[in-house]
Amino acid sequence: MKRTTRRLATALLVVAVGAVVLVAAGSGSRAKSQVSAGGTYKVGWEQSFGFTDNMDPVGEYLAEGFAIQTSLLDRTLVGYNHVPGAAGNKIVPDIATAVPTPTNGGKTYTFHIKQGVKFGPPVNRQVTSADFLNEMKRLASPKDGQEYGFYYNVIKGFASGKGKTISGISTPNASTIVFNLTQPTGDFLYRMSMGATSPQPAEVTKCFEGQAGKYGNDLISTGPYMIQGIDKVDISDCSKITAASGYDGTSKMILVRNPNYDPKTDSTAARQNFPDEFDFLIDANKDDIYSKVAAGEFQDEISSPPGQVLEKYYTSHSPLLKQYSGDRTWYLTMNLTAPPFDDVHVRKAFNFIMNKNALVQAWGGPAIGKVAHHIVPDTLFNNQLAEYNPFATPGDKGSLSKAKAAMKGSKYDTKGNGTCSASACHNVYLLADTRGQDLKMVPVIEADAKKIGITFKVHSINGAYPTLQTPSKNVPIGERPGWGKDYADPLTFFTPLFDGRNIIPNGNTNYSLVGITPAQCKTLKVKGNCTNVPSVNSQLDKCSVLIGQPRLTCYENLDKYLTGTVVPWVPYLWSTATHIIAPNVTQWSFDQFSGSTGYAHVAVK
Amino acid sequence: MTAATDLLSPGGAGATFTGTRSAARLFWERFREDKAAMFAASVIIVLVLIAVFGGPLAAWVTGHPNTTAYNDRMLDPYGVPKGPNSQFWFGADAAGRDLFVRTMYGARTSLFVGVVASGIAVAIGLVVGLTAGFFGGWVDTALSRTGDVMLALPTLLISIGIVAACNSAPNGCLHGLVQQGLRVVIFVIAFFTWPYIARIVRGFTLSIREKEFVEASRSLGASNSRIIFREILPNLIGPMIVYTTLLIPNNILFEAALSYLGLGVNGDTASWGGLLNDAQTYYDVAWWLMLFPGLFLVMTTLAFNLLGDGLRDALDVRADR
Amino acid sequence: MLIYLVRRILWAILVVFVVLFITFLVFFKLPNGDPALRFAGKTPTPAMLDEIHHRLHLDKPWYIEFGYFVKTFATGDQYGWPGLGYSYNSFASVKSQIVYRAPRTLWLIAGAATLWLTFGVAIGVLSAVKRRTLVDRLAMGFALFGISAPVFWLGLIALYIFWRTLHWTAGTGYTPIAQGPGQWFSHMILPWVVLSMLYTAIYARMTRNNLLETLGEDYIRTARAKGLSERRVIFRHGLRASLTPIVTLFGLDVALLVGGAIITESVFNLQGLGWMAINSATQQDLPIVLGVVLCTATAVAFMNLVVDIVYAFLDPRVRYS
Repeated sequence: MKRTTRRLATALLVVAVGAVVLVAAGSGSRAKSQVSAGGTYKVGWEQSFGFTDNMDPVGEYLAEGFAIQTSLLDRTLVGYNHVPGAAGNKIVPDIATAVPTPTNGGKTYTFHIKQGVKFGPPVNRQVTSADFLNEMKRLASPKDGQEYGFYYNVIKGFASGKGKTISGISTPNASTIVFNLTQPTGDFLYRMSMGATSPQPAEVTKCFEGQAGKYGNDLISTGPYMIQGIDKVDISDCSKITAASGYDGTSKMILVRNPNYDPKTDSTAARQNFPDEFDFLIDANKDDIYSKVAAGEFQDEISSPPGQVLEKYYTSHSPLLKQYSGDRTWYLTMNLTAPPFDDVHVRKAFNFIMNKNALVQAWGGPAIGKVAHHIVPDTLFNNQLAEYNPFATPGDKGSLSKAKAAMKGSKYDTKGNGTCSASACHNVYLLADTRGQDLKMVPVIEADAKKIGITFKVHSINGAYPTLQTPSKNVPIGERPGWGKDYADPLTFFTPLFDGRNIIPNGNTNYSLVGITPAQCKTLKVKGNCTNVPSVNSQLDKCSVLIGQPRLTCYENLDKYLTGTVVPWVPYLWSTATHIIAPNVTQWSFDQFSGSTGYAHVAVK
Repeated sequence: MTAATDLLSPGGAGATFTGTRSAARLFWERFREDKAAMFAASVIIVLVLIAVFGGPLAAWVTGHPNTTAYNDRMLDPYGVPKGPNSQFWFGADAAGRDLFVRTMYGARTSLFVGVVASGIAVAIGLVVGLTAGFFGGWVDTALSRTGDVMLALPTLLISIGIVAACNSAPNGCLHGLVQQGLRVVIFVIAFFTWPYIARIVRGFTLSIREKEFVEASRSLGASNSRIIFREILPNLIGPMIVYTTLLIPNNILFEAALSYLGLGVNGDTASWGGLLNDAQTYYDVAWWLMLFPGLFLVMTTLAFNLLGDGLRDALDVRADR
Repeated sequence: MLIYLVRRILWAILVVFVVLFITFLVFFKLPNGDPALRFAGKTPTPAMLDEIHHRLHLDKPWYIEFGYFVKTFATGDQYGWPGLGYSYNSFASVKSQIVYRAPRTLWLIAGAATLWLTFGVAIGVLSAVKRRTLVDRLAMGFALFGISAPVFWLGLIALYIFWRTLHWTAGTGYTPIAQGPGQWFSHMILPWVVLSMLYTAIYARMTRNNLLETLGEDYIRTARAKGLSERRVIFRHGLRASLTPIVTLFGLDVALLVGGAIITESVFNLQGLGWMAINSATQQDLPIVLGVVLCTATAVAFMNLVVDIVYAFLDPRVRYS
């Protein structure tokens, strides 16, 4: 009896152990969620694509466009690894064999093209230096729809605007291309990482010459994926070209694998290419998108989650909520020529009194970002300015005493008690937009301003940017603007926003009119106080030719000078880029360069 | 906007006249008997009182001014508004302001805009309709065709254009006459609703013109202006009262729709439509935003419609009702 | 008859033309910003803007611009006929955008129109026949509510109750019928009911009024005296006469909704033609705005024409006026 029992017990033990091992093995592999190739990665995109140039790289300026192009469709001479943080902003070779160091005193860059990098169907041939030159010519030609061609004016012969020849670009052979610049340019490699420099075959682009916004439907790929149906397009004659079936511009963009892509010409650090297909689908409705994501019907979304949804994911610390620095600053802009903001005391007092915490709350609180303390987001300075906060107040809620102290001595402080009491302080034109967050910010701004004596006449416009961008409208203060980087160099913040020479009558981005001269005021019909407006033009010129840490330090000093001494803004929010992903996404990465999903590294079960 | 098509329905016009002054007497007696209309009238009186005193009174009683955002107390850290409690009887709106106070002030906006815009529309419509109906011929054709075209215009689309242009300019449009905010809204509403009144007035004028007493007056040598002011206009007073009363709720809803779409009064001014715009974003977590302003809006328009119906019935001398 | 028809058609075309012209003028002369900025990136230069103005033909005076628009419309462009150009926002042809979105609006109108015509007339008849009874009072009470409650409020309440709380219907958004009739219906049922409420109310009131008026006429008395059943009297004689104004209004209402169901489309996020027009208007996407306005104006003109023809058949006097 005893032996049977012992045998039975042993057998049971063996079975039990075996079961445990099996279960552990099974759950272990389940828990590890094998990242494997295959599947379709579906992205729910709200309302409309909103591409600025219909996905033609020469003019495509939308961040989501950048994300898709750099990860999936358009390789460039140099690029990124499509990961978050500082590593994601680092320049790595893509089509070029190596990242070149400039010669000739920083004015010449020589790139060598990898063999084996081919255009996708239906072009099917090796990429040559002529293809890069072709695209640069399209960039230089105004008629082809370029939107950031000004970055390449540093190339000799580029700025002539005709685009027929560019003297500064030479192609000694099919695999070498040389750029000669007019002056040393510290961020030139960043400029060459932009999608507009990706090679495009002249045999196809010639059919779209002068027709901005058309080539995108027939975009020829150099990346791991291509537009579905592009291989069926007949490119033998311009009259035979039709739009690829996979991209209709309004409801969907389907990308499938590019058979001509050779992973050996690329690195897995930059692109892993797990899914077989990418579907970008326009979905009418926010609620629908987020419920589909939660159900796994969509893997990712391009939208902004409603406050309640974001709150739910945020407070439960869900791993499906992905938030990274958006490299974007939101700010109140003050017009340096318009009373009462033409007085720096008033601008400083305004920075002290504003309850920035409440402004961030209006956007969605900690789930949306954090309070901004100066102009450029810290990530772009490698956090070297993280402690710099010249207008610090307890809890970022504003301080009346500090504001009043700052106001003392202002020409508008007629009563001498630290409030803005002259008549110019009453009924000041405040330009506001009508989005949800604007409607919530305006009462806070008005209440705080009142504490230092400023009252507003609020002009609410649905779509306030065009008015803000017109200097002749003389808007003293606007609460709408935000600014994000183009690439990870502070130049992309400072030059458009604070160069006085860039002020134009229509579409102006230097809203504060920093560096405006009395002559400009006359031509632009600016009616305010144009004498002695602070300018940073010379500092901008100085910083732009430097490289490395000296460049960074130069821009950091410029940020400090602007934020604390010129005070054109009240920066209040550094927003995060937020994505909510589906439970069946097995790997996901953020692409710091574009500020969106790093499609190069995603995987779905 | 579309409820005004109700005004155009021929059956609803009640178009018969006695041509005598005792119509006023008759009207008042019939009206007094209509309990519903009397009730509606009293509701409107209450609403007018709320419009005038309600806002400041509510602010004083609760201690919460109309424009103060209590974002510490009534918004959660993520900006979502909180609901009714002992101090905020209706809860908070999207910016954290006291919804009860805002709703009371909203009455002021809605009634002011509704009444003023309707008044202007009626004034214009009266002049145009009288001229068209009385003088006939090419004047009539020109004015009527203009009205036809205006009725076919895309109302909201053109409102966007006008509102955007007038709101961005520092001093409004039409040389400062149409300032941003309330005035633009009133201008837009009056601009699009006068054709309805003009059409009705024209119809009445045409039928009165053919009546015997007008012919008699003319044969006595009365001038055109005398006929207009002495014979036709007095007979229009009754219908004009009715149609103004029926136009007001239409215009209140028009203003609410404009505010709902972000084209109306600016954020400081409380408006029921604007509050319902907030509701759209938060309605699944903040039911109070949807309920209270909506109830007040419906109550107001119901009362005016009921009153208008009652007035119309009382003015109508048809037996079979 | 033919001359009458030709005159009406010519007038219809003129109305469409004038409406387009006015819309064009409003958006060209009162712009909230330069559409060229859309294509000029974050940091435009004056040279870029000039180039884009030239490309979009915005550097010419407005009358030449309009002439160009008319010419392209008549002769067609690279997308075929009619030539409506391409959207500034999405680079897709205006025609394809309209074709993509029109089904949503058309389904919305079809469903709502069926509901409101059926129920509106039915309730109106019931009320008239049973006038002064409880049924009449309730029906007219409901009708009064229907013309007083704004669509955006009813929509939110309906969504809150039937979607968020009871989960009986799908929520906002639209599923094409090809992707699942069940889902499509689930998305459409609430917009249909909510949109039709206003019109049901109007039509009920109008039917009731008209029917009561008609039933008081002499020939009805004669029919009754002749011994016809009450049902025959009402349906054969009474309703026929009172339906004419209803038909007129129905045509106009349906046509105006083509580009005018903006509020319903916004509340339920159906993204139909009206919604697209509003969005485009706020972003200076003029080609889309003009395209949608063209659709609506054409629909209105067409419906007016149809109604006029029907009228001419029904009432010989009209033909000879």
